[in-house]
Amino acid sequence: MTVFKFALKRSFSNIANLVFLTLFPVACIFLPRGEEWPFLPYGYQYFGIIILFIGIRLAAIILEDREKGVVKRLAVAPISHFNYLSQNLLAYSVILILQCAIVVYGGVLFGQELYQPGWLFLLYVSFSFASLAIALAWISIYRKKDVAFLIYMSLIFIVVVLGGLIIPVEMFPDLLKRMAVILPTYWLGQGLNWVVFGEEILDFLIINGVLWLYTIVFVVIGSTRKI
Amino acid sequence: MTIASIQGVVKRYGAHLVLDYIDLDIYEGEIIGLLGPNGAGKTTLIQTLTGITSFERGKIEIFGQSKNPFSNQNKERIGLVTQGITVFEELTAKENLQFFAGVYGLRGEEKKKRVEEALEFVGLGDKGNKTPNKFSGGMKRRLNIACALTHRPKLLIMDEPTVGIDPQSRNYILEAVKKLRENGTTILYTTHYMEEVQAIASRVVIMDQGQIIKQGTVDELIQMVQHEEKVKIDVTDSDKVPVNELENIAGVKKVVVSGNQITIISAFDSGNLDRIITLVKEHAGVLGIQADKPNLEDVFLTLTGKELRDKEEA
Repeated sequence: MTVFKFALKRSFSNIANLVFLTLFPVACIFLPRGEEWPFLPYGYQYFGIIILFIGIRLAAIILEDREKGVVKRLAVAPISHFNYLSQNLLAYSVILILQCAIVVYGGVLFGQELYQPGWLFLLYVSFSFASLAIALAWISIYRKKDVAFLIYMSLIFIVVVLGGLIIPVEMFPDLLKRMAVILPTYWLGQGLNWVVFGEEILDFLIINGVLWLYTIVFVVIGSTRKI
Repeated sequence: MTIASIQGVVKRYGAHLVLDYIDLDIYEGEIIGLLGPNGAGKTTLIQTLTGITSFERGKIEIFGQSKNPFSNQNKERIGLVTQGITVFEELTAKENLQFFAGVYGLRGEEKKKRVEEALEFVGLGDKGNKTPNKFSGGMKRRLNIACALTHRPKLLIMDEPTVGIDPQSRNYILEAVKKLRENGTTILYTTHYMEEVQAIASRVVIMDQGQIIKQGTVDELIQMVQHEEKVKIDVTDSDKVPVNELENIAGVKKVVVSGNQITIISAFDSGNLDRIITLVKEHAGVLGIQADKPNLEDVFLTLTGKELRDKEEA
């Protein structure tokens, strides 16, 4: 588990990552509620956006390895690409799960009304994995970390707005409403609504199922590029 | 004993033939100096030999295995020093070595010992807790080498390990390479610095345009061109050098213009120097003349008609 151990270490090795991985999620706990919308406190709506940023920051470590040629060096070592990738992804998943736990249960301790914290935690975990998978697929297109990061930032903005994390989807014209369905942020938004108002467990499972489908598809796409 | 053998290997990038039916045997305990200009195919050959890149035709045998030459068992016995510096800037030198040692399956006390040993070997014993971003270029290069040594490879492949470093670090690395050989490591050392090859290689392989054009010991290769004379003339205007007329002078074998210098290789004792100088003086103006004893650079020039290094690089 050498790669796993060092992936954890490297994830916290610079200030920008430290801020994203620790300070921002903790800050989410303390944000107030909105008057009418969102239905959960602001921090729990915006945590989805933070997860998207964290996903690319973590996945960019793999791109950095490719950019520098570390992956080439590892190709000569007795470790398979699958092993390298899975240990990295496992380390990032551990970080994301911990963050989700801190945000949700930190909020419970702080006294935020989160309705169904267990389901909220599960939803965030599903969205975190989807976000990591999308970032992995995204970096597989690029050779340079900076370029990949910069374009992804712009993309996040569009996905977040169209997915209904900043403005409710109900306010969009019909065409945009229909388009929003293909975005993972839309499903996160739906999941957050379910945590507040939902009754049918099947609805929640479908929402999580879609996020897991995103995860599987994008992990497969992102795993194909080796060097 | 042959520890690696490349037979008739062909590799193309699109329509470009990068490795053109390469045959090469690597024998235990030798240092092979793989010489060639940029784009000769040295790195591709290394990547093919290590299984990083596939090849379309031919056969590779490593440690007697030809069916699965890139098995984990073989990988454990090979070390690669990459051309670029492939270390983690955010980890300390020691952590970098711990990472690579761990990847090669080393654990516990043995790993700790090998990491210390590798750091000492490259002269970074007191820098283990520092991150590479505080290192000079030469120190980074040495760390890059150390990362390939913790698992004590039998075959060490070094792809231009001294690019862009100070002479002191270069000497340190060359001495380290000699020491590794004394300890029984076989080394394939690629470079375009012929003085490095001259200093360490027991056998030299010259590559150009994807082909191995000559191989032998340094002495054997130099002997090959000793029947020739070489004159270098610095001119005022290289555009006016009468290359065709010079080539037509009796005894002249090759004329190479590089910057403001022309190199003329003639048959030994051809007695054409006076005529050459007169002709060059008439057209391009002469600033200086020098006649050299042959070295590997001349071997390369004779074989390929190219300088080993671009002038601006040198």
